[in-house]
Amino acid sequence: MFTAQNLISLCITSILTAGLYAVMSYGLAIIYGVMKVVNLSNAGFLMLGAFMTMVYSQVLHLDPVAGAFLNMPLFFAAGWLVYVTLVRRVRQALPIASLLMLFGLWLVLQNLALTVWGSDDQSIITRYTYKALPLFDYRIALTRLIVFAVAVAVMAVLQILLNHTYIGKALRATVQDPQAALLAGIDTERISGYAFGLGTAFAGFAGGLMTLLFSFTPDFGGPFQLKSFTIIVLGGLENLAGVTVGAAILAFAESFAVLFMRASLQNVIAYALLVVALIVMPGGVTSLFGRRS
Amino acid sequence: MIGSAPGAPAVVRPARPRLPAAPLLAPALGVALALVPVAAPGNITVLNLGFFTFLYVAQGLAWNILGGFAGYVSFGYAAFFGLGAYTTALLWLGGWTPVLTFPVGGLVAAVFSLIVGVPTLRLVGPYFSIATIGVGEAMRILMLNLDRITGGASGLNLPTAVPSKAWFYTAALLMAAVAYAAATWIRGSRFGLGLAALRMDLEAAETLGVRTALFKNVAHMISAFLVGVCGGLFATYFQYLHPDTVFSFTESISLVLIALIGGLGTIWGPILGAAVFYAVQDYLQTSYPTFHLLAYGILLIVILLFEPRGLAGLAARIWGHYRPGAPPIAAAPAAPGAFGPPAVPVPGETGSHVPAPDGPGPVPGSTA
Repeated sequence: MFTAQNLISLCITSILTAGLYAVMSYGLAIIYGVMKVVNLSNAGFLMLGAFMTMVYSQVLHLDPVAGAFLNMPLFFAAGWLVYVTLVRRVRQALPIASLLMLFGLWLVLQNLALTVWGSDDQSIITRYTYKALPLFDYRIALTRLIVFAVAVAVMAVLQILLNHTYIGKALRATVQDPQAALLAGIDTERISGYAFGLGTAFAGFAGGLMTLLFSFTPDFGGPFQLKSFTIIVLGGLENLAGVTVGAAILAFAESFAVLFMRASLQNVIAYALLVVALIVMPGGVTSLFGRRS
Repeated sequence: MIGSAPGAPAVVRPARPRLPAAPLLAPALGVALALVPVAAPGNITVLNLGFFTFLYVAQGLAWNILGGFAGYVSFGYAAFFGLGAYTTALLWLGGWTPVLTFPVGGLVAAVFSLIVGVPTLRLVGPYFSIATIGVGEAMRILMLNLDRITGGASGLNLPTAVPSKAWFYTAALLMAAVAYAAATWIRGSRFGLGLAALRMDLEAAETLGVRTALFKNVAHMISAFLVGVCGGLFATYFQYLHPDTVFSFTESISLVLIALIGGLGTIWGPILGAAVFYAVQDYLQTSYPTFHLLAYGILLIVILLFEPRGLAGLAARIWGHYRPGAPPIAAAPAAPGAFGPPAVPVPGETGSHVPAPDGPGPVPGSTA
């Protein structure tokens, strides 16, 4: 059970899962960071991303990875629209109002998908779905490797954009201090719209990538949504780099828990971590070491 | 209701338009509904409709004690419902009479709510909501895996010797009446004022000597107790339990939707909300099983945009409009709703793109 081979193989699995977890939580973190809105509709957009990718592959015979990229502009537009028509109008009210509104949107998306696609399990099988890559003594599923590589590449590109473009810098400034950003002449309202679009684009992208690994139903987003919350809370909510840390912690915790408990209890780890992290360290894991000036 | 509280200054809660003769309406309605099984003892459809509606009314009212009065929106009430249901089921299988198990189920739910509430109620606003989603889902998965106790994924069969439909109808009506009485009493009491105060400003309430942590937890426990009893009633009615039904997320969100669509923090809101919720669900269930949640999602968004006080607020507004000598309808949205913005505009939140100065959007016929 605790052989070195097992442990190494678990580590590899964890790292690959962490890549997916990070990309799926990034959107939530951006939206929370910029406007302090908890985006419950993220689950709906994850699910919709998966179904859209299925549609592309059925109609256009598009590969899921390409489908995930195609989702990005479409979901950006959808997210921006959601911000302009819905979220902006309740931002002045208590934070719970925007949470409930986005929860309503999640219900709408989920049940629309149910009426359109039914409640059956769907999956996309590609030519490489069952292929594995031998690496020394281990075999790694090709799909997992692709998802990891694409996720990391996209996040790296995003990081560059955030650091080197005007909108990226404005977005980071708004995360750090909305009032100061406003004083510096940044149109935080416009940035909020972009951030919501970007966050939704990431949800659609992650949903598309997930079709390579999982089967999906219209109820598909819920558990991943909660995991995303766990990740951004562990990462420190407003800390975009913290997402990676949170994703890694959750992925490792889940993978290694299988050694000690039933696999069907795996999700409980994430939910327990979520509650504990919310209560014990609202500043996230990174606040525990250093930065205590 | 509000008026009956002698020491209640009008400062805490702005006067809201109320339904006509509200204090008398509920008992009259209750008595009329209680006569239904006498008048039509064989009409199973009506009795079933009544049973489920009243069960939802009771739970909606109970949820509203914490979610509406205190403003702590919980997405985890299925845990209380499920615990009540399973407590009743297990004691019943152990030889108890079902009726005697209901309070025990309620107590189990209340104790669990305390265990969960002490840490999570320290969180504010959205963080509490998210934590409760986690707690609720974790409970569902745990129960699915405790198969020696709960029967796990194959469920639990209960004895088939049960009372008549008329009995269930009356029991659920009684439950709704108890929840109504509890909610009405709390709302008018010092306890209810404390909850309203901490909803509006937690720190200010604390400074003024409201024991916020105690109040929140007591509200949580009372509502969990009521929902737990409802769970027991449900278990007796169904004679079969499965963790995925009684602990489901759908059960949790049903309560949130009932209270929100009816009117958060009002007495009549959950009653109206539950009646509409179950009627719509029952009507659409057979042909379009998912449509009622779709409809409710849309309704929720519309309500948050235009009438944050829900159906009860809408009813009060319409009543206010048609009452002779009433102010024009445009006056209504100026009153802070359940999600009303803070009295002082928050700097940094640019208001330039928001159409109206306060939350609710333009009202047809408004001249402002």
